[in-house]
Amino acid sequence: MRGAEVQDTRALAAGALADVALKGASLRERLKSAQETLGDPRDRAFLTALCSEGARWWLRFDKAQEDLLQQPLRKREPALHALLVLGMVQLEILKLPPHAAVAATVDATRALGRGGFAKLVNAVLRRWLRERDARNRQLDARPETASAHPHWLIDALTRDWPEHDAAILAANNIVAPPMSRVNARRSARDDVIAELAEAGIAAQPHPWLRDAITLASHSDLARLPGFAQGNFSVQDGAAQCAADLLDLRDGLRVLDACAAPGGKTGHMLERADPDVLALERDHVRAASIDDNLHRLGLRCEVRTGDAGKPSTWWDGKPFGRILLDAPCSATGVIRRHPDIKLHRRASDIAPLVREQRRLLAALWPLLASGGRLVYATCSILREENEQVIAAFVSAHVDAETQAFELPAGHRAGAGWQILPGEGGLDGMYYAVLQKA
Amino acid sequence: MAKLDILEFPDPRLRLNALPVEAFDAALKKLADDMLETMYAAPGIGLAATQVNAPKRLLVVDVSEAHDAPLVLVNPELLDSRGSEVCQEGCLSFPGVFADVQRKEWVRVKAQDVSGKLFELETDGLLAVCIQHEMDHLVGKVFVDYLSPLKRSLLLRKLEKQRRKAG
Repeated sequence: MRGAEVQDTRALAAGALADVALKGASLRERLKSAQETLGDPRDRAFLTALCSEGARWWLRFDKAQEDLLQQPLRKREPALHALLVLGMVQLEILKLPPHAAVAATVDATRALGRGGFAKLVNAVLRRWLRERDARNRQLDARPETASAHPHWLIDALTRDWPEHDAAILAANNIVAPPMSRVNARRSARDDVIAELAEAGIAAQPHPWLRDAITLASHSDLARLPGFAQGNFSVQDGAAQCAADLLDLRDGLRVLDACAAPGGKTGHMLERADPDVLALERDHVRAASIDDNLHRLGLRCEVRTGDAGKPSTWWDGKPFGRILLDAPCSATGVIRRHPDIKLHRRASDIAPLVREQRRLLAALWPLLASGGRLVYATCSILREENEQVIAAFVSAHVDAETQAFELPAGHRAGAGWQILPGEGGLDGMYYAVLQKA
Repeated sequence: MAKLDILEFPDPRLRLNALPVEAFDAALKKLADDMLETMYAAPGIGLAATQVNAPKRLLVVDVSEAHDAPLVLVNPELLDSRGSEVCQEGCLSFPGVFADVQRKEWVRVKAQDVSGKLFELETDGLLAVCIQHEMDHLVGKVFVDYLSPLKRSLLLRKLEKQRRKAG
């Protein structure tokens, strides 16, 4: 016998979500492979919504299963457990009509080859519908299940941003509108917006980021007109601040130290003609830089190497600019990558901070006198941001911080912190260091 | 181990009534191992000896995702069954087509292992469905026999189409 063929979108989503939430798979990667089995773009969009919201709200509805079932299915039947979470996501988050959502979810048990559980799935979801008000109140009473964030992260946000923690948690739970970056070499921003409008996609220029546009629809940007031609890229506006802060000029030697997938690299090359070296430790990810630059009609030197070990790749010529987009907890981009809630652990932070310090210390000697280093992370934890910079500046007499302000966000030590949702952007930290 | 060829519908050998196994020897052990390898490679969750042109009362199943729970049933007999459930089934002898089939929800079977030791097994869910599906093969029965004439002809037409597509 061959097991059931999974084409049912909900069943497909349940398998993917179980891998993401219970086996540590990456949402983006897992979604990509699940998408391939669906032909209809509407099915693909629904699959994305199910998996993303399933990951975003996992901690709430995973707990709800525990309250409803004496023996949750998490271990024995991971896909069915995820399917029940998705049942509640359809009812509470996607607000689908209850009876249709329950019926389709019960059908999905059969598509998963677990038809014997159809009655159980039906009973659990119907019971939830009967008791949803009381049960939702119970879940809302605890911060962890109310916001569907892990405990350690709520504590860290309350410690670091006592006045903004609630706003951050709320922003992480709202689907972020897609943003893109216009390739100034290929197209004017207004022309890209007009072309998208012709395709029925409403898009708006960002009020203060000159290359950024915000799209109203959640369609797959890579399939929109102009993308393949390199007229624009998918990139949140927060990441587009880097090119401004680098103060680029033609001919300037620039190091992009942790460059993959090359979003910020491409932006630099769209803005000016600097002599850029894009460095990436992972050779598969380094290849993605080439692909992205190729689509944009740009080129620069791409190398595989550890930014913390310059002796293995540096030719000894100093750089006028260095962008260190450091590996980080990614706690600022949860709204776009909700699986970070499930995968990041409190114990990940200390090793990340060590890595950030190692990279900063290793790259500093490569910066020319009078040169500028931009330190960036998509973290909103002070340990990874201003504390790294403060410790570095106090230990290096030739390092001076350069104060600056952006139209959204907060001064944070010597740098600037955009919190998720502020200015319509992802959470991102920047600091600018000048070498004496 | 070696991978075996799987007979495809409407091969008449799929209609043979399998003979009871009498010799629990090395050849039987090898056949069971080869069937498991063939089943995992397909990929499938159950395979009857009839399907690999060895009309003996022998079947292998493994419904685990990790492929770590293989079961070999020699001379299986149904002792008891209860309830009913509908499950979407496919069959390695019918590549690319699937249909809902109604089966017993719970079964108790008696069988021997490859060394001839008798055992009993009670199970429900997918494993129960799969064992019933494979035991049917041993008496020359296939899952499309359960479908209405209309559904069966639709499915067989789709099977033909898949086959042409596969070249």
